[in-house]
Amino acid sequence: MSEIVETPTKIDVEERQVGRPLERTDARAKAIGATRYAGDFTMPNVLHAKVVRTNIASATLRRLDMSKARALPGVVCILTGADLPDRMAATDMPGQTGQQRRKTDHQILVGERVRYFGEPLALIAAETRDIAEHAATLVEAELEPYPGVYDPIDALEPGAPLLYGADNIVAMQKVRKGDVERGFASADVVVENTYRTQFIEHAFLEPEVGLAWVDQDGVINIRVSTQVIEHFRFVADAVGVPHNRVRIQGALVGGGFGGKEDITVEVYLALLAKATQRPVRLEFTREDSLVGHGKRHPFVMKYRTGVTKDGRITALQCDFLADAGAYVFLSPYVLLYSVVAAPGPYRIDNLRVDAKAVATNNMYTSAFRGFGAAQACVAYEQQMDEVAKAIGMDPLKFRRRNYLHDGETMGTGFVPPSNIWTERCADRAWVALGEPTESSGAVKVGRGLAAYLQSYGRITALHDTSECWVGVEVDGTVVVRSGVTDIGAGQVSALAQIAAEVLGVEMQDVVVYNSDSAVTPLAGTTTATRALYMTGNACRLAAEAVRRRLVARAATKFGVDASTVDMAFGNVFVADDPTQSMSLAELARISAAEGIHRSELAIFRAPFTDKVDPETGQGQVHPDYAFGAHAIEVAVDTETGEITVLKSVGAHDVGRAINPAAVEGQIEGGATQGQGYALSEEMIYREGRLMTPSFSEYLIPTTMDVPIVQSIILESRSGLGPFGAKGIGEAALTPVAPAIANAVADAIGVRIAELPITPEKVVAALRHKA
Amino acid sequence: MNRHRTISLDVNGRVREIAVPSHRTLLEALRELGCLDVKCGCEKGDCGACAVLLDGEAVDSCLTLAWTAEGRAITTVAGLGSAEKPHPLQDALARNGGVQCGYCTPGFIIAAASLLRETPNPTEDDIRFGLGGNLCRCTGYRKIFEAVSEAATAMDAGART
Amino acid sequence: MFAQFDLEMPDGLDDAVRLLANGNGATTMPLAGGTNVIVDIRARRVSPSRLVSLDRIHVLRGIDRSNGRITIGGRTTVTDLVRSPDVAAHAASLVDSARVFAGQMVRNTATVAGNIACGSPAADLVPPLLALDAVVALKGASGTRDVALCDYFTGYKKDVRRHDELITGISWPAAERHSVNRFYKLARRKGDAITVVGVAITIAAGNGVCTKARIALGAVTPYPVRARRAEALLEGKRLTPALVEDAARQAVEESSPIDDIRASADYRRHGVHVLTRRLVGEAWTKLEQGMS
Repeated sequence: MSEIVETPTKIDVEERQVGRPLERTDARAKAIGATRYAGDFTMPNVLHAKVVRTNIASATLRRLDMSKARALPGVVCILTGADLPDRMAATDMPGQTGQQRRKTDHQILVGERVRYFGEPLALIAAETRDIAEHAATLVEAELEPYPGVYDPIDALEPGAPLLYGADNIVAMQKVRKGDVERGFASADVVVENTYRTQFIEHAFLEPEVGLAWVDQDGVINIRVSTQVIEHFRFVADAVGVPHNRVRIQGALVGGGFGGKEDITVEVYLALLAKATQRPVRLEFTREDSLVGHGKRHPFVMKYRTGVTKDGRITALQCDFLADAGAYVFLSPYVLLYSVVAAPGPYRIDNLRVDAKAVATNNMYTSAFRGFGAAQACVAYEQQMDEVAKAIGMDPLKFRRRNYLHDGETMGTGFVPPSNIWTERCADRAWVALGEPTESSGAVKVGRGLAAYLQSYGRITALHDTSECWVGVEVDGTVVVRSGVTDIGAGQVSALAQIAAEVLGVEMQDVVVYNSDSAVTPLAGTTTATRALYMTGNACRLAAEAVRRRLVARAATKFGVDASTVDMAFGNVFVADDPTQSMSLAELARISAAEGIHRSELAIFRAPFTDKVDPETGQGQVHPDYAFGAHAIEVAVDTETGEITVLKSVGAHDVGRAINPAAVEGQIEGGATQGQGYALSEEMIYREGRLMTPSFSEYLIPTTMDVPIVQSIILESRSGLGPFGAKGIGEAALTPVAPAIANAVADAIGVRIAELPITPEKVVAALRHKA
Repeated sequence: MNRHRTISLDVNGRVREIAVPSHRTLLEALRELGCLDVKCGCEKGDCGACAVLLDGEAVDSCLTLAWTAEGRAITTVAGLGSAEKPHPLQDALARNGGVQCGYCTPGFIIAAASLLRETPNPTEDDIRFGLGGNLCRCTGYRKIFEAVSEAATAMDAGART
Repeated sequence: MFAQFDLEMPDGLDDAVRLLANGNGATTMPLAGGTNVIVDIRARRVSPSRLVSLDRIHVLRGIDRSNGRITIGGRTTVTDLVRSPDVAAHAASLVDSARVFAGQMVRNTATVAGNIACGSPAADLVPPLLALDAVVALKGASGTRDVALCDYFTGYKKDVRRHDELITGISWPAAERHSVNRFYKLARRKGDAITVVGVAITIAAGNGVCTKARIALGAVTPYPVRARRAEALLEGKRLTPALVEDAARQAVEESSPIDDIRASADYRRHGVHVLTRRLVGEAWTKLEQGMS
């Protein structure tokens, strides 16, 4: 159990539930195998669906012959692009924001043009999964290769095959601050490097799956594994029904990481359920999943840093090129995050960032934990080490010269409203590496650190909101209703913990009903490290409103001022005189009889802003940022190139740890996912074809690959979330890969500036150095 | 032609009959029987989510043909313990934060149970080795190792009393 | 999974052989652990019309040490190898390999015969067995025969096993007193990964010289092979670092790796060089200490 360090000595409210590493509300049922995930639901008369996919990345569909598939006994329905001539599916802006959608809708099934490998050609629904699988093998497709483009640089060439607009540029972002020319002129040293990251895959253990049926009111119901139940709107648009005729019921999700942020199986299910008027189940195979959902954007990031001899950064120029793949999806937003994060948690007065996301025939890229800010961190933290090396300064000392501090201005002109504890996080993480492990023979040991900033809360120009309902039952138990989806980090349990804290009950006395777009108040997406911040706040607001009303009634009974009444242990009592007490159950009963409102539906609004200035990138983009660092010690076998991570320490100011065990879990998981990003994971596309179609080729860290990750949790209490919380979900991952890259560079004396850092690249780099 | 049979499967101590074709995997058959605690992650032995015990030893049910499991004692995670009487592995994992999305959890518990049967006092290296065929994307494994150690101690103490 | 095959589950070895013999030749396959066969069927790389399960043939599983040889039944699992004191004492290289073989569930199920029969150039048990001078016992409709493992493979996914034959066992001589055998593999992660380069060695010493040298290479040739010319450089000599280096370079010459998504041929050659040098060098150091 980690020790929580750095809390203010004065604590305003004695917290009884919040801050304790309680067993999560969902943990036990999962451990005994009782939890029902989306794929565990079925219905009588259900059909089984299969997606038929192309086996080429760029083509024209000349002929699609489904006759043999249709003729197979047990095949009930087949849909092709020809059946859906006017229907398109949104790629833009998941969630509830009500903003105007970009015109980036894409074909649901291939009409004429194939733009990525595995793009869906047809949907089959059959009586059994076997029949659907068999039918898929009987489909005949004549696909005429069409010139494709597989690298953003090639896609920018005049005359390149076009996938988007007139030039394949899907999005551009700029940041301009100060005067970089003057900044470079006043530098003693200018350091320029290019850093590259690869396509990676979320690799959640639960593949995409869902069940859809049309009920007696003509509502299309979809039980689905998703991060976003608000997709009901886009499903309705795609299928051609009103928004209130689609209901999405989530389930506890077996991992998301951004890979279930976009629509996956929902539209296919809705179309088939509507066409057959029978329940339809669609479960992606792992191969479907690897081929069929958006990946992390590869970025090429050129950094040019001007610095004085004594370590002050005088100018920074960044040029980013991201591969958006075949369809737009969330590329514009990922790009925005990347330019906001581009300088890192440092004070840069002269800044110029130019970024482009470019369409290719690779798989489309979209949301993935860190969302562009993770890629930027891979670059800015390696660049910090390289600049420190160029001026002969210790990398931590160099960072200390340049950290952003409380109240200072980011590259985009925004002053984060919370504490910026980067320095103390970095120092603690570094110290926690302990005594250096000795190098021995061909094995060289090195250490590296990466600091970061990571937003929490969605882009403020989206005008994000979250609603939550909290009520006290007549017997004193508590109910929370929230649309929030729980993707494994304890989003639901956190609400129980917060409601329990506010209403003075134990966590097990709270039941949370979640993720049903018809009956639970919409909380917004579980993305962008927003669930605790937004929905936690909404939950707290709702619970506090109920508390105020109940406490007022109790105060009347006790004949005291409401401010002197407390709630704890299922009781309501006078704080200074606990003999004046009644049970919450009794109070609830009285309130029910008197028509006192024992529940509240609250809405929490994030700051609302306009979009930032497109020429300068100046303005508020996010509500706030989390800051921290990760430190790594690696051993590199300089002959074989094998890399072993010996020590891994994450130090994060999470504002407030609602459940410290859950925070540790995120840090440990993020460290492991980041290790994979740095060392072993790569989705390889050749001419757009996926060469790593299973977990035998796409290698995430196993128990044999990881050190014991250490978590250092700092609590500044300065976050905008409930009880001063910020968020940890994405931040836990963001600094890890660059810390590993820095440690490897330290170990072998040469930098491998392209992820993943494989044994082969180590050997090649050492050969080149020699 | 030997392609369809009704077989008897002994699942968690209860014998169930099911008519399945020869190509039906044990994973598919168990889920058809309602054993939804057995999870499908990859169907090719890469992830361990589908692990079950066959006569006390962990196997990937996606790589096992259902017919070949006849006559063996099949244990799924639901057969190891319940809410009222959890197996020490289930209890330790639930309490220590080693369960996040939970999808990999049944497979890990099965693999750990198999490991502990053979190695009742595992070192950390033994635990890593025993769980190397189970992928987790959420937890980073640390709390899973700790839960297995804790359960091993509890089971050892239990065995001695 | 969707497939169509008859599944036979004979109780005895003779029944199994008969079923293989009177099947349709190429579309009848034996099924042991299934950790490759089931995956291949699901991926439609193979479409057998009949599978003959060996699950119930218990006589094929077991580890025996007698008459100066270690004999393991074909259906012995990888976990059996990990647990066996005889294998630990007489085939450390096989334990090395078994310990980096996939994950627990696959190890509990996958068989030694299956790993040999699958024909993958990266089959990890094969290099250690080659370096142990293993002999494969086959049984078919026309009787039994022994084939030296080094003669078993004839090409990429080609071997001498007839369609009616099963690998009933594999055996090798008990370890000589002054000998060391080890295996190491390079891969893209430490856990469960397809081998990029695998090298197994056996070195025996006597009277200050190397009396036996075996160097077997995995994942760098169409099927695992011994680097015989490298071995010949070492036998009868004192293994100086320079000589070991020569043998390592020679072993590289006897490999013919390819470029693939896991690694380039260049890196693989480098891996053969480094691993051969290290494994042979470390074995000799250990033996020298024993001889002094």
